[in-house]
Amino acid sequence: MWYSYDGRRDALAGVSLDLKPGGLALLGPNGSGKTTLLKVLGLIYRPGRGKVYVNGIDYWSSRRSVQLRLRRRVVYVHETPVLLRGTVLYNVAYGLRLRGVGEDEARSTAMEWLERLGISHLAGKRGGLSAGEAQMVAMARALALAPAVLLLDEPLSNLDFEKRRIALRVLREYAERGTVVVATHDHLAAATLATTAAILEGGRIRSMGSVEELLGVKVDLGAR
Amino acid sequence: MLGEVVEISLRSLYVSSTATLIGLAWSLPLAYMLASSRSRAARLAVTAANALVSVPTVVVGLALYMALSRRGPLGFTGLLYTPQAIALGESLLITPLLVSLFHEVFSEYRSRYWELAVTLGATQGQAAILVAREALPRLLTATLIGFGRAIGELGVALMVGGNIKGYTRVITTAIALEVSKGEFETAIVLGAVLLSLVVGVVAAARILNRVMGADIG
Repeated sequence: MWYSYDGRRDALAGVSLDLKPGGLALLGPNGSGKTTLLKVLGLIYRPGRGKVYVNGIDYWSSRRSVQLRLRRRVVYVHETPVLLRGTVLYNVAYGLRLRGVGEDEARSTAMEWLERLGISHLAGKRGGLSAGEAQMVAMARALALAPAVLLLDEPLSNLDFEKRRIALRVLREYAERGTVVVATHDHLAAATLATTAAILEGGRIRSMGSVEELLGVKVDLGAR
Repeated sequence: MLGEVVEISLRSLYVSSTATLIGLAWSLPLAYMLASSRSRAARLAVTAANALVSVPTVVVGLALYMALSRRGPLGFTGLLYTPQAIALGESLLITPLLVSLFHEVFSEYRSRYWELAVTLGATQGQAAILVAREALPRLLTATLIGFGRAIGELGVALMVGGNIKGYTRVITTAIALEVSKGEFETAIVLGAVLLSLVVGVVAAARILNRVMGADIG
């Protein structure tokens, strides 16, 4: 896949990737193409060249109704959380409501995820969230949708020790059941959440392999 | 005098509110389309709107007068010297301002919320509603600014309204008339009413922004 923001310089320059269940960490310096790749995988950016297949279907060549169905299997969480006007509970339930889930069910699912992430006390809050709290809310909103593929852009960057511990635990559990792709500079988080890592440089995958192999980090499962 | 001041003020409110609603009806979708497009034509249209924001009211008034006069292309409508003509003229006058302000708001909010809507699985329509919902406080503020421009203008109201007593006389045309007659007392009262309306609109915009605009993050 190739992608360019300005038509001159390729932010992605021939990346080929096959997403499988489990955790994949995208590593690399700033500007290496991690966020762009996440947004292409998240079906937000259409690659200038190349194709994105979801369940074997060429996403960008399919009909809108098919695209919508496929798009609802993939959720991308921004590095800087984008929250809506309204309460935290409204924010977390919003994606479910978009998908036609009834209000009561959406609210109860949203509440469940807020509890799992240890932020249920924020449910009625309308503003004044810290950056870390906002990040946890954005994470809860994505998790509540139970996507087949969860794409996280620096998910732990604003979290304090306690929130980071909770988020890592919840995301690791999720990665054991589905596909989680995390772009991060945080090698410990990468080692905790992913078994495979790809190192990007200049919009290309420079190397790919197991986290242990690439980072030389082994995380004791019992200590996670 | 009081009765006449009230009557003129109410007519001004009616005419300018109608003008704002008409302007809103076409400016809102137009601005949204322009903000969603990356085409050269869209960029040109935005540049044109920005350039026309401060178009002199008499120029709009003159153009509309020529269009609505008996020999003009819209002469058959018989709208000249009616409150509807003033509303139409004012709506045309504020259109570039509304398009420019709405475009700015939509551009900012679209880049922020469109991606979110897409990734949460919104349809195109749901995404557009999400962007508009989040931008609502700023859109209301822009609308009120447009209303302020409409109610405070003189050129259009005078040229296509004709300042007919009890029919097309609005605050600004009445002030101009009273000053020309040397009736400064009435002109000052009308001026105070106009000022109160404009200040009220600005205050309403600020309150709306404070009440609705609180960002959660």
